[in-house]
Amino acid sequence: MRLAPRQLQRSGMTGNVPYYGGRLAPAQAYAVGHTPPQPPQPPQPAESAEPPSRLATPANPQQTMTSLRQLRDDGLLSETEFTDLAARLST
Amino acid sequence: MTSPVQVLVIGFDEPQFSGEALAELARLKDAGIVQLVDLLVVERTAGGELQTLPSPGVLGPGAGDIAVALLAESSEQPASPTRGDVNGFWSLAEAIPAGSMAVVALIEHLWAEPLAASVRKAGGRALEETWLALDDLDRLTQLRSDR
Repeated sequence: MRLAPRQLQRSGMTGNVPYYGGRLAPAQAYAVGHTPPQPPQPPQPAESAEPPSRLATPANPQQTMTSLRQLRDDGLLSETEFTDLAARLST
Repeated sequence: MTSPVQVLVIGFDEPQFSGEALAELARLKDAGIVQLVDLLVVERTAGGELQTLPSPGVLGPGAGDIAVALLAESSEQPASPTRGDVNGFWSLAEAIPAGSMAVVALIEHLWAEPLAASVRKAGGRALEETWLALDDLDRLTQLRSDR
């Protein structure tokens, strides 16, 4: 019987293994330069002297590009992956 | 079924089904260690087409059906988009070289279910999972003997 192979997600015994072949997965590399949206912070009391959360700071594209270059130079990103992520950064 | 299931794809030039491996799997099943869920024998032609071959008779009728349903596209469903360029996915087409034969075994690791459940319960997530290569196994053996 002819068999048309189906694509399956790779997984490990204890769950999905995001790091593969000694390289960062594209999703991980993307996450390096993209801070996930943070849940809304509860209102601070007026007298609070705490500085604003660093997590709320929007990603700095220049810093992200530097991180991507570093990942490429370290061999964790291929030239193609770097180009792709850099293009996304500029959009 | 909640225990982790391993997909083991083993290539052969000419498979010789002596029953020895199946006997070992039966022993491991009796010991509650692993269970052979299904076994499929496939051939990949020089042109790249995959064909199922008859499974060893000792497995009985219906052998390979579950593996086919799991690992192959159903004729009743539209084909899933090709994601071969996306890491994190695999298929038999990538695992089995053209012009070769392979045995695909679905092996349920009964022993691992409590461990996997406890890892999940503790909030753990897998960062890497692999087997040691032969050289590293030799090194490990040496390290253990030195202790």
